Amino acid sequence: MIFGITSFVLIVILGLRLTFGRFLGRLPEDKRKISTENFKAYVKWIAGWKLSFLKLERWDRCLDRLVAWGRKNFPGWTAWVFYVLVLCYVYLAFSGLFFAWFVPRGLYGFPLLLHVAAGALFAISLTIILFLKARVYLPEKLESRAAAQEKGGFWCPLLGKNLPRIYLEAVAFWVFVAAGFFLAASTLGSMLPYFNYPAQIFFFNLHRWSALASVLSAILALDVMIVN
Amino acid sequence: MNSKEKDSSRKTTWKFLLQAGTLVISVTVFIFATLSVSRLLAARNQAGQKQEIKLKAADKTEWSGSQVSPLHRIPLHDELNQKIIPAAPNSLPFSSRYSCEPCHSYDTISQGTHFNYRQRPATDRRTEPWFLVDEKAGVQLPVSFQKYPGFWSPEQLGLTDWKFVTLFGRNLNGGGPGEPSQQNQTPDSRWNVSGPLEINCLGCHHRSPLQDHSEWVKQVMRENFRWAATAASGLGEVIGMASRLPSTWSLADGPNPDDHEWAVVPQVKYNQNFFDSKNNAVLELPRPEDDRCLACHSVTPRQATSRAAVDRDVHLQSGLKCVDCHRNDLSHEIVRGFEGEKLSHSRLKASDFTCAGCHLGEKPEKGGFGFTGRLGAPRPAHKGIPRVHFERLSCTACHSGLLPEKEPQAIYTSRANRLGIFGKAVWTSEFPLIVEPVFVREADKKIYPERMTWPAFWAEVKGRELVPVDSVEVMAAAPEVFSLKQDVAALLNSLLPLAGEGFYPAVIISAYLFEPNVDGSLNVRLLEKTPLTGKVTQDRFLLVQLKNDEARPLLPEFDPDEPPPGLEEKVLSVLQNLKSLARGREPVFLIGKYVYRITEGYLDKMEKTGQPAPQPEICWLQGDEYKPFLSPFQVRNLAVLGSGPGILTEEQVSLALKKLSEMNPGRKFAYVGAGFIFSLDQAGKLRAGRHPAAGAVSWPLAHNVRPAQQALGKNGCTDCHSPGSRVFFGKIEAASPLNTTHRATVLGADLMKTGQLFQFLFGFTFLVRPAFKLVLAACVLVIGLLLLVVIIKIAGRVSGISGDSPGSGNRS
Repeated sequence: MIFGITSFVLIVILGLRLTFGRFLGRLPEDKRKISTENFKAYVKWIAGWKLSFLKLERWDRCLDRLVAWGRKNFPGWTAWVFYVLVLCYVYLAFSGLFFAWFVPRGLYGFPLLLHVAAGALFAISLTIILFLKARVYLPEKLESRAAAQEKGGFWCPLLGKNLPRIYLEAVAFWVFVAAGFFLAASTLGSMLPYFNYPAQIFFFNLHRWSALASVLSAILALDVMIVN
Repeated sequence: MNSKEKDSSRKTTWKFLLQAGTLVISVTVFIFATLSVSRLLAARNQAGQKQEIKLKAADKTEWSGSQVSPLHRIPLHDELNQKIIPAAPNSLPFSSRYSCEPCHSYDTISQGTHFNYRQRPATDRRTEPWFLVDEKAGVQLPVSFQKYPGFWSPEQLGLTDWKFVTLFGRNLNGGGPGEPSQQNQTPDSRWNVSGPLEINCLGCHHRSPLQDHSEWVKQVMRENFRWAATAASGLGEVIGMASRLPSTWSLADGPNPDDHEWAVVPQVKYNQNFFDSKNNAVLELPRPEDDRCLACHSVTPRQATSRAAVDRDVHLQSGLKCVDCHRNDLSHEIVRGFEGEKLSHSRLKASDFTCAGCHLGEKPEKGGFGFTGRLGAPRPAHKGIPRVHFERLSCTACHSGLLPEKEPQAIYTSRANRLGIFGKAVWTSEFPLIVEPVFVREADKKIYPERMTWPAFWAEVKGRELVPVDSVEVMAAAPEVFSLKQDVAALLNSLLPLAGEGFYPAVIISAYLFEPNVDGSLNVRLLEKTPLTGKVTQDRFLLVQLKNDEARPLLPEFDPDEPPPGLEEKVLSVLQNLKSLARGREPVFLIGKYVYRITEGYLDKMEKTGQPAPQPEICWLQGDEYKPFLSPFQVRNLAVLGSGPGILTEEQVSLALKKLSEMNPGRKFAYVGAGFIFSLDQAGKLRAGRHPAAGAVSWPLAHNVRPAQQALGKNGCTDCHSPGSRVFFGKIEAASPLNTTHRATVLGADLMKTGQLFQFLFGFTFLVRPAFKLVLAACVLVIGLLLLVVIIKIAGRVSGISGDSPGSGNRS
């Protein structure tokens, strides 16, 4: 119950925050502030999306964009690793959240079987992606890139200035990796014959809260890395 | 100005009114709330005081506070409330109502689990039903006062209290139906002769080597209800049988001085060694010993060859007694110990005595933060078992009952199969056929191990409803159909004079040897190699004589022109024996061209018309035709019965249904068995169909609990999860008194409602799990190491230890 509510609220809040930031980014710099007028305009802007996302064409374009981004950032066969990661992750996130929110019994049956299978692929592809991309987001590599993005970064209404987007990308990346680590570790732990019932409960909770952290970081990554 | 003042005063008035109104409402609410709270508090105080007084009074009568069970040196009273003088002639049996009542409320105890069958709480879990069994008619029908699907209530079957007690009294503790109210005493009953079957307190509590459950059973079977407790306790010996007394007899009539042989009035002869000089009985009455419980609650796998081959419940092995968990207070409402049990009379907390109550206590599996459970029970680690198992499985699923095999095993239970009754006769009955374990998902969505049986009964079809027909009515309609084994046994016994010394006649049919038993029926043995060749449909049989494992042909070959001395006398004797079973035919003995027959009481040897007999043969002469000794119907059906545990064949069922329909035109009958309903179609052919009443009946089992080392899952997940899992893919086939190819079959996965395909695929994943775990472990290791490096780098930069930290740049 707590997880269901918390996860729902956090995902909605992050979604609203990111879209609000994206809305502010469209405004002239002098008008980028938190105000009633901007909120009203934001609501209108969101409402203006109407049902456009129900159109297959829109999703098709999104998919094209994602594929193109993958090709651009992951050369050669590594793009396929990225696509596998994305596909598995989408299923894992949707199946996990759907059952957590709407099915009191939790994940079970064929969706659970697929969840386990997709989880294995996710762990493998995440490990490969980590090998490929970890150096990009190492602390020592960030500062130079941050300096280059000083102006065209991520608008922070609270600080009233642009933050280098690379910082958010790094945060999203490492949180996603860390969450993936805990997801895999908790899965492995619950399958090993060494942990008693309280440990099983711990693994279960670790798994679902890690999943939430992973989803939030993935949403952030989608916003700051891919969509932008 | 005036108008302004008016306006001002009007405004003031409204404001004033508003304030006044608020004040009034506030005061009213305050007074109302104060009064209500005061009243509630007062009521609570009063209720508390009343309850306290009541509890103290109840405690005083129930328990002194001592852990010791006192030696009972008490006067025994008979049902007329007269003190029993053991030396007095014609003493009546003791009455527990009047002997125990002075200290223990009989009425309160009457509400107990073992006595109050009719008013058990609706929340009470299904328990093993009673079984109405007729081994001749192929009936095994679950009867219960509990209202669950598949259980037939005594009312539905027309079982009055009298019938119920005479049928099942062997395992009743008295009370309940044994002491019917006036309105429940039906004309067919003989309560005035038998007396009431009072609660048998000593049956459970009497610690004496003379306490004898078998004696109780014998007395109940003799309808000596009021004498049964006295006889079973060993306090006195009881002779006589109430069942032989006329239904007009009553206690006031006393013994019949003219009959010492047959209709002997039951009488008690007390053993005075159990009484002191003041005629008080000296009784040791502690908490019940296990043997008392096991007399009615034993379960044994049928394949066990001896008692030594069966492991007892691990709790008993550990020194616990049944009553350590299955406790009760004065209400005698026994804690059954299942999760969610609610007691209606007892003041005990049932949840304390469940598996979790002792083994987990309040800790976190039960959602609490207390200490571990009772009795120092070991706390299970359940290492490596995912949480879902504790949510979806009962504890007993992994820990209780027989270990699952490819098919559930047939078992005997005390109440169903009459175990634990010892005497000259063999009491254990093969029917009902019950199997365990089957795993069933119950209404609470949890999976329980259960025992299962399939009802078998004759029924009248009324629309979609089936109304069981009394087997007496069925057998009366077609006696020859149901007495198949008895008829053949009688025929074989008639041939005894032809058998050698120490030998007895038997018959080989198909690959089976049938031999008469002491019950007047037949035992069957599978032969390693049959001397009969050819097809069973040839209706062939071979009469043999047996001595231990030695078998030889029964009918002697000799030269009829010069018969050996004494042989013709034997033939005469056999033919005379067979005459009583002839049913309008004439028994004859054929040998070569001669036929032996009885003419005017003498053996007559005549020339046989037609071809000489190729071998000696006993036949029936019907008109001018020689009919075989065993009819094709008998041979055919015995061949079928030899191949299985059944007692009926489809041919028998078909014949019986035809006879029933002929005798009851306009009524439609059917036989239910093996999970199907069998009825005749328009062409008179037997057809099998489905009906809810033919479905399996199951009830959860709890014992025997196996040691933790033998729990399912001890060897890993594949104990249950594999593509060929015995738990999920074990075939459960309906067991039935009917030998038929139509048998309801179901897989474990279906009863658990987990889905066969899913369980197959899920089980399949366990074949690749080791690889899966290795891959996952490698991923965790690699990601973990990289994360560690990053954390060290960040820590280094933040702390300034690392050379490329922001601070270090400034310092340089």
